Amino acid sequence: MASAPTANGDAAAVASDYNLVPKLAQNLDRHLIFPLLEFTASQLVDEESGEVKDQAKAREIAQAKYSLLKKTNMTDYVANLYCELQGLEEPPAEFAERKQKVFSQLQKYEQETSKIIELLERDDVVNNLRSDKVANLEFLKREHDVTMDMVDALFDLGNLQYSCGNYADASEMLYRFRVLSTDNDKVAYATWGRLACEILTMNWETAMEELQKVRETIDSRLSQNPLAQLHHRTALTHWALFPLFNFEKAREPILELFFNAGYINTIQANCPWILRYLVVAVITNRGRAKNPGIHQKQMKDIVRIVKQEAYEYQDPVTRFVHALCIDFDFEEAQRQLVLAEEVLRGDFFLLAHADDFVDSARHLIFESYCKIHARISLQDLSARLGLNADAAEKWIVNLIRDTRLDAKIDYKEGTVVMNHPPSSVYQQVIEKTKGGFFRTQVLNAAVAK
Amino acid sequence: MSRFFRGGDDSSTESSSDEEELYTTSEEEEEEEDQEQEESTEEEDEEESSDEDEGPKKTGLSRFLVDQAESESDESDEEGVTKVKSAKDKRFDELEATITTIQNRQKIDDWGSIATEFDKLNRQVVKLQDGGKAPKSYIKCIAELEDFLNETLAKQKVTPKNKKLNATNARGLNAVKQRIKKNNKDYQAQIDAFRKDRDAFMESDEEEAPLPKPSKVRFQQEAFAPEEAAEDEDKGFSRVDKRGKAMPFSPESIQKHLRAIIESRGRKNTDRVEQIRIMEELNKVAETPYLKIRVLQTLVSARFDLGSGTTTSMPLEHWKAAEKELAALLALLETHKDHVVIEGAEEWEDDDKTPVLGPDDKYIKVPGSVVSYIERLDDELTRSLQSIDPHTSEYIERLTDEASLYNIILRGLLYYETVRKDASLEVPQESVNRIIQRRLDHVYFKPSQVVKILEENAWKQVPDNVDSAITPRGLSGDAGQLIHTLCNYLFNNSEGIIRARAMLCQIYFLALHDEYYRARDMMLTSHLQESIANFDVATQILYNRTLVQVGLCAFRKGLVYDAQNTLQDICGSGRQKELLAQGVMIQRYSQVSPEQERLEKQRQLPFHMHINLELLECVYLTCSMLLEIPLLAQIGSSPDIKKRVISKTYRRMLEYHERQIFTGPPENTRDHVMQASKALAAGEWKKATHFIHSIKIWDLMPSADEIKAMLAKQIQEEGLRTYLFTYAPFYDTLAIETLSTMFELDPTKVAAVVSKMISHEELAAALDQVTKTVIFRKGVELSRLQSLALALSDKASALIETNERTLEVRTQGSANAFSRKDGRQGGQRAGGQRGGRGGARTGGNAQRQAGGTQFTGGALGAAVRG
Repeated sequence: MASAPTANGDAAAVASDYNLVPKLAQNLDRHLIFPLLEFTASQLVDEESGEVKDQAKAREIAQAKYSLLKKTNMTDYVANLYCELQGLEEPPAEFAERKQKVFSQLQKYEQETSKIIELLERDDVVNNLRSDKVANLEFLKREHDVTMDMVDALFDLGNLQYSCGNYADASEMLYRFRVLSTDNDKVAYATWGRLACEILTMNWETAMEELQKVRETIDSRLSQNPLAQLHHRTALTHWALFPLFNFEKAREPILELFFNAGYINTIQANCPWILRYLVVAVITNRGRAKNPGIHQKQMKDIVRIVKQEAYEYQDPVTRFVHALCIDFDFEEAQRQLVLAEEVLRGDFFLLAHADDFVDSARHLIFESYCKIHARISLQDLSARLGLNADAAEKWIVNLIRDTRLDAKIDYKEGTVVMNHPPSSVYQQVIEKTKGGFFRTQVLNAAVAK
Repeated sequence: MSRFFRGGDDSSTESSSDEEELYTTSEEEEEEEDQEQEESTEEEDEEESSDEDEGPKKTGLSRFLVDQAESESDESDEEGVTKVKSAKDKRFDELEATITTIQNRQKIDDWGSIATEFDKLNRQVVKLQDGGKAPKSYIKCIAELEDFLNETLAKQKVTPKNKKLNATNARGLNAVKQRIKKNNKDYQAQIDAFRKDRDAFMESDEEEAPLPKPSKVRFQQEAFAPEEAAEDEDKGFSRVDKRGKAMPFSPESIQKHLRAIIESRGRKNTDRVEQIRIMEELNKVAETPYLKIRVLQTLVSARFDLGSGTTTSMPLEHWKAAEKELAALLALLETHKDHVVIEGAEEWEDDDKTPVLGPDDKYIKVPGSVVSYIERLDDELTRSLQSIDPHTSEYIERLTDEASLYNIILRGLLYYETVRKDASLEVPQESVNRIIQRRLDHVYFKPSQVVKILEENAWKQVPDNVDSAITPRGLSGDAGQLIHTLCNYLFNNSEGIIRARAMLCQIYFLALHDEYYRARDMMLTSHLQESIANFDVATQILYNRTLVQVGLCAFRKGLVYDAQNTLQDICGSGRQKELLAQGVMIQRYSQVSPEQERLEKQRQLPFHMHINLELLECVYLTCSMLLEIPLLAQIGSSPDIKKRVISKTYRRMLEYHERQIFTGPPENTRDHVMQASKALAAGEWKKATHFIHSIKIWDLMPSADEIKAMLAKQIQEEGLRTYLFTYAPFYDTLAIETLSTMFELDPTKVAAVVSKMISHEELAAALDQVTKTVIFRKGVELSRLQSLALALSDKASALIETNERTLEVRTQGSANAFSRKDGRQGGQRAGGQRGGRGGARTGGNAQRQAGGTQFTGGALGAAVRG
């Protein structure tokens, strides 16, 4: 996407400078890219007047949408797009032709699969199915002469339906196919397909299950092929962004997934731009994490990775982390935070989390500021947090109450005074020896094995 | 009779007659016919005689030669005769002399000298008769000697006591007795003949004696294809009539010459220079491309044989000639596309015909390996560069030959590309890989400008219409791209060592051109550090070189920590010279066998590939200083904390330096760094900067000024840290402003440094924003008991860790019990792999271990031991 500054001035320029859509698109499915494009298009529409601000750009996006969907079977929509682009009233005949073709194909597959679908809906059949796929297939073959071709037809039908934008049905088909098929490759494809379907139908619970399945296949089946593993992991990382920012419960497992050695290496090696999302996810996760220890560790990791990747990837979000946690340059961090907010507001995934992020980031600044300083002037702090004096005071009081910081406000001097008790030696000794017993037990168990 | 015809064998005799039939019909037909008749009878004779010995053939041939010799005798003063005569006859004279001595000694019963003379005689005779019959006089001598021996033995039996031989004589007698029996067996036939009719035998000798003389001449010339003699002489004479000059080499005879030469390869008594001369002649007369190719091939390999000694390199003029001939060979192959030289082609057995293109053949295949010739040429150049003193102009002159060699390599590559296009030839991928590897070896260590010039010159020699598929002509302008393409090609098409080498070359090149991150990432993703110990020594050396280059690159980028970390393995060992193959270490305990020493000498890199060791040391020490001095200051106040050592070498030097009672002004690099360290430790950063800046060797770095500026900045910061560590216990508060003026740093920068130290809990302090001061906390000093308790807890956790690790090693693979641990380790490894400066400094110990071991690939010991 070209980064033409729009009427909105700097903010839009910042947003478009750090637009990740082209990079993300490489690793997403056509259908998954579509929402991103929709979002980009909607960004151009002025909220109040509903007018499109940048005609050329809008056209560009429409063109992109068209070429994106051209290969899919969503013929009606594509035809409309085409008309819009070319300024035609009636779509050309070829679209109708194609539609016809798709229809006939759909019918053909439906016919082929009708029997097996019917079978699978019958209770007496379903009750006879076991967890052993081979045995199931044997059983179906024997009792109801289901052939391998019929099973494969399920897969094809699913594929076609997905291509037509009929995600819910496609998901169903693929699920059935997966239950029966013994072809590992196709099962893997079906799992990916189902993941896409669930994401597109916003069925996050199942999407998470599928995600987990895909992850397992990657870890187990591709362990002999590091390159394919890398590619698959890259794709999975991108796909996982959908549930990560849209489904609260998905957050922790996906963060855990990202920080897994294999995936963090993938991100570092192949797609460092994911770091933006990772940083935002980690920072906004601060209050929610059940275990503050994990959050701290993640924070530490992300700082390290941001630092390592600084030569390869930078945007306001990572620069914010860099300034705050590596250079301890609070002014710079403040500047980057402003920019980062703009970036977040222009990002499909992060839009909803912008406020959350800013709030958490402020906490973070304050936290590390307090850690280092013994006395802070209130005035200075309010400027730093971008609030007026009264609001800042309130904010700090709330903060002190929430986080149980050992700090007091000296109103006469206009300062916040921090009390840093030195960590006790006894405490240190206890910390160091705490895990010893457990670890020894584990060791013991391992030896006994 | 036939000194003349030694060394021949059946097949060549036959084929010579065949050749006669083929080629000579046009000239001297009448003579030919006689000859043919004669020869055909001779052939029949041969077939009848199953004896492998050449005797019968010779009779046949000599019969024919006798006539010839007679006809020749008038022309005995022909040129060349005298020349060769002298060589041959000298030997004869010597032989005669020895025989006379033996006869004289027999008279006085001096067995001691008879024994020595007899040995000498046998040696001489071997030279005079390679496989044929011995000279008459020799036969006579040995026959007589045997008789005399028997006589003496008999005499001894009769009179055992009164005439005892003295010790030397007895020993000599025994020696001769044993040897003569064995020896005479070989000549039994001749000796019998001699015994039967002494006079007749000797007479025949006398008669024939004058005859061989004139022909001997030519024989010597044709030593390599004796059978040829007859024919050539024959022709030679007629040609003399026509042109007035002898013409010993003809296109027809080339193949036979070559065969003889090839067969004599590796034998002891072959005169290689002479052979080369002959082949040069042959090359002039060779007409068809096939013959030319054959001659050039043999010629080039003969030249290589000249330098086949273990230590000597090939003479310069021969190298140049070989280079020219190889170029000619490649040019020939370029122009004659229907001729190919490939490995594993069938040997052409028929010396009389040259192969012609059959109806279904696309190519005339010549066995041979172009890539091997090129490799050998390259090796020879390296060898000669190794032996030349690098500080002479001779070295530079020799180095210019690299350009022509590179050109050959390029053309060789082009040749292989064209040959590979035809799948039917089945040229192995490996050849292409080898040649690309060679090409890479010549460019990877050079700056891109140099590579560019080299490339341009090489391409100039190549006809315009030829282009390479692997490295198109257009690439020559961009060295980085070129290297990338070459390496990628190797990476995709090869495996094992070549693949590893390609990768290392590329990393080296990237590091040389300041692409630190790419180089580092490639180094880490290659995982070579784990497997390098399994590679051969040359690759390990390349690995070490690459590692050093990456380290230097990091230094140029200002990444002191990474540079130190990377260089640690090589420089910390104190064996840089060996590890980089830039000089042989003097072994204190001389445990190295001469064999090992020789190998090590062979591995040495030529001077122009060297990495400047002094610069390397300077960089390493400077980096170590920047890391060690603050660390020393930090742990200085609390001696109970287990000492962390970053660089042992540096510490040792520092201790040594501190022990000196008087320190003079710094002389060498090391002195400079040491004095700078001292100044830095005392907080005098300006002095330290001055010392570091006055090191002259920085000028060798590209953009030395930037590096100096970078170092000054680093020294300022580290100076500040050192100062804080050292003097913190003596202050309550310290104004940022003061620090900022003291170290001439920006106040915000000072604040940032202090903040970092506080945040990482290196400094027990806090900032006061209102007064802009650093407040040092009190009561952080530990009592003895407390610090001991801490140390104990550290030890306890270290113990657990060791136990876990031990168990992990023991139960490798099946240790799923450690899922928790594995996870953590994985994380750590991931951090380590992405290299360098994982956590910040506090992460210190663990991090450093992870980082420290990552580059170690056991290359150390193995590279030295071989």
